[in-house]
Amino acid sequence: MLEVENLRVAYRELLALHGISLEVHPGEMVALVGPNGAGKTTLLKTVAGLLAPRAGVIRWHDETISRTSAQRIVEHGIALVPEGRRLFSDMTVRENLELGAFTRRAQKEKKLQLEKIYSLFPRLFERQRQRAGSLSGGEQQMLALGRALMGLPRLLLLDEPSLGLAPRVVDSIMSILSELHHDGMSLLIVEQNVHAVLALAQRAYILEGGRIVSTGEAKRLLDDDHVRAAYLGPLARGAE
Amino acid sequence: MKLVVTGILLAGGFAVLPLFTERNDLLNLGVQIFLAIVLAQSWNIVGGYAGQINLGHAAFFGLGALTTRMLWVGDVPLVLSLLAGALVATAFGCLIGVPAFRLRGAYFAIGTLGLAEILRITIGNLLPEISTIRVAELASYDILPRYYLTLTLAVLCVAAVALLVPSRVGLGIRAVREDEAAAEASGVSALRHKLLALAVSTAFAGLAGGAFAYYHVSYYPQHTFSPIWTFDAVLMSFVGGVGTVHGPVLGALFYVILKEVLALQWVEFHLIIFGVLFMLVVLFLPGGLVEAWKRARQAIARSR
Amino acid sequence: MGKLFTTYYLLLATFKMILTQQLILGLLVGGLYGLAAAGLSLTFGVLRVLNVAHGELLMVGGYATFWLFTLWEIDPFLSLLGVGPAMFVLGLLLYAVLFRFVVRADEEARIKNSLLIGFGLTLVLHALAIQLWTADERAVTTAYSGAVLRLGPIAIPLLRLSSLLFAFAILAALHLFLARTRWGRAIRATAEDWEAAALMGIPVGRTYLLAFALGTALAGIAGGLVSISYSISPSIGMEWTLKALIVIVLAGLGSLFGSFAGGILLGLAESMSVVFLGGPYREVVGLMLFLLVLLVRPQGLFGTRP
Repeated sequence: MLEVENLRVAYRELLALHGISLEVHPGEMVALVGPNGAGKTTLLKTVAGLLAPRAGVIRWHDETISRTSAQRIVEHGIALVPEGRRLFSDMTVRENLELGAFTRRAQKEKKLQLEKIYSLFPRLFERQRQRAGSLSGGEQQMLALGRALMGLPRLLLLDEPSLGLAPRVVDSIMSILSELHHDGMSLLIVEQNVHAVLALAQRAYILEGGRIVSTGEAKRLLDDDHVRAAYLGPLARGAE
Repeated sequence: MKLVVTGILLAGGFAVLPLFTERNDLLNLGVQIFLAIVLAQSWNIVGGYAGQINLGHAAFFGLGALTTRMLWVGDVPLVLSLLAGALVATAFGCLIGVPAFRLRGAYFAIGTLGLAEILRITIGNLLPEISTIRVAELASYDILPRYYLTLTLAVLCVAAVALLVPSRVGLGIRAVREDEAAAEASGVSALRHKLLALAVSTAFAGLAGGAFAYYHVSYYPQHTFSPIWTFDAVLMSFVGGVGTVHGPVLGALFYVILKEVLALQWVEFHLIIFGVLFMLVVLFLPGGLVEAWKRARQAIARSR
Repeated sequence: MGKLFTTYYLLLATFKMILTQQLILGLLVGGLYGLAAAGLSLTFGVLRVLNVAHGELLMVGGYATFWLFTLWEIDPFLSLLGVGPAMFVLGLLLYAVLFRFVVRADEEARIKNSLLIGFGLTLVLHALAIQLWTADERAVTTAYSGAVLRLGPIAIPLLRLSSLLFAFAILAALHLFLARTRWGRAIRATAEDWEAAALMGIPVGRTYLLAFALGTALAGIAGGLVSISYSISPSIGMEWTLKALIVIVLAGLGSLFGSFAGGILLGLAESMSVVFLGGPYREVVGLMLFLLVLLVRPQGLFGTRP
């Protein structure tokens, strides 16, 4: 289980997170929503070990991982699917996937995991020798997801998985995430498409200006007035 | 203020030194020191204050030396020859400045290095013979005018930098070093300021070269274009304290004296020492000796 | 009239022979340029560190090969099998002591600092070499050093040909390592996006260490080949650093075989300048090409990234 307590993180000299606390229980799907620049990506990057916090604690199954390096975090079982996917575009689909299983633990299960990923994403199997940079947006997101899964994570962090994707593709990604969730994966999803993610998640946090302003059951937040006005109104992003 | 006083005292001390001693080796050492100061300080303008690592500094030194030598040996009055040398160096600097400054950081460095090498090889091919001053001149060779010329140049160069730095132009140059984009946004033309810095730097490098041509009896023209001059300038500036007025002076003093002390036994050893010091400075003490001195004084003050 | 034509044809034939001979020599040395550049390209591409002491490391490798031959009569090609790993270890040391600190900064500061550190290292290594081994030129002269393959009027020095083939083989081996092995892939991934690589569980620090050591080993092997086929002295350091830089600028980063091709190109360009401008201007052509490409097309002729 992931516990974040009073996290303060600075990004380029400015404080981006002003004391964040949140939790992800085992097997939970938690959504993190908020406007642009609220600090959602900063939070995920810090949990993933790419940024070090100024203050506060991050705990994973009671072990403190606040200052653990990114590669160690992967060994602990937390994987981040970063914003914009950040695939190795000059390498093939298969090479990207194999890289996801770099850790010793994942190396042992590599062949098995690869087959699982291919069965989950048949399109990736078809294109396994293609350059990652030549895939479509949706395929790239699948590859990024598959790559993260190759590391055998128990908690998956996702930063804007639906960014730049067509609605139908978003649906298929969301259904895959739902499937993973039903198989026992814990997920923390940062999303602009508030409607889609709140419909699937159990709990949600709303992050605004580096602070958690609201939290609770996802379904309840869908009905919340402030949320509806700010994120689900006709002018909000991702609305149908 | 204290620095200015120290500087004046130092310069004064050097100026009256010849009255107290007739030892040629001391006076020669003085010339080496003064030349080194000009070399380092002139590089510091572009390397320290403008923040551009210019590895082609030797080219301007060499051009100054070449021009001055040719004119002076051809009976043109010394002052005119020196000025001509500075002019040629500056003109070349302005010529290559515009295309060169299109290159960023490391590319600017290796680009200028490449350019200086082209010049060195070409000069080496066109003028392979040793350059000597005429026999008549040799007979009447006197170290004193060389001593005072180089001393004057050193004082002028340090003074020029000291005056340039707080001036409006100097502020602009430093703004460009800190953040070029921000400087441009506030109306400071990055290219113009970099070119100005280069112009002053190359002018003094050219003068240093000219002084060298006046001082040395015989040398291979190619030698004045050797990257050794650039490397010396970089080493002295950084170890002394790049981007300060007195840093290069300290670095030059330290460098030349160390070189003299070690010259008896280990010819290249001073380079090993300075190379290591240089790397330590770059990694751990970017302010060089100047910063080390400041920290030492702070430590002493705190322990009182 | 007939005599005129005969003279003309004779001159043309002679010229063609000289040109061909020079081009072949340029090709042979170009392969070594490529090998030297590949090492620098590796460290620059992965660590974003411009180690301008690369040529000095090449020089060290050359001396190692020379002394192994001179003191213990180890066949130079054989000794490369030892020099390579030894230089690899030297690379590990240099990274651990120096360049490890340079990679802490962001990319722009990294390049600038590595330039300065490399510069300091150059001076130290150069001065040490002069102190230890004097400024004299050295060359490895084995029993088979003078062997020459004759194709009509053209003479191909066998030693240089072997060196070229050896260089090519090393690059091919490196390519396989980068393409097929776990750590090779890690190096390529880190070169493209080190943060994403870290997210895969790739230890970026260790990857940097490996890449740097490999680059140093490549430099050392290239140096060994230089001492076998040409000659070495402490001053070849900067010369070869410039060669490597020129090739990198010509060929761009990101491809080992691009570096090799770039090296060949430089070798051929130098040959042409020898034929048309004479020996003394050989270096100048390369340098001018370098400046031209730097200004006009910074990503190189075959490069993938700026």
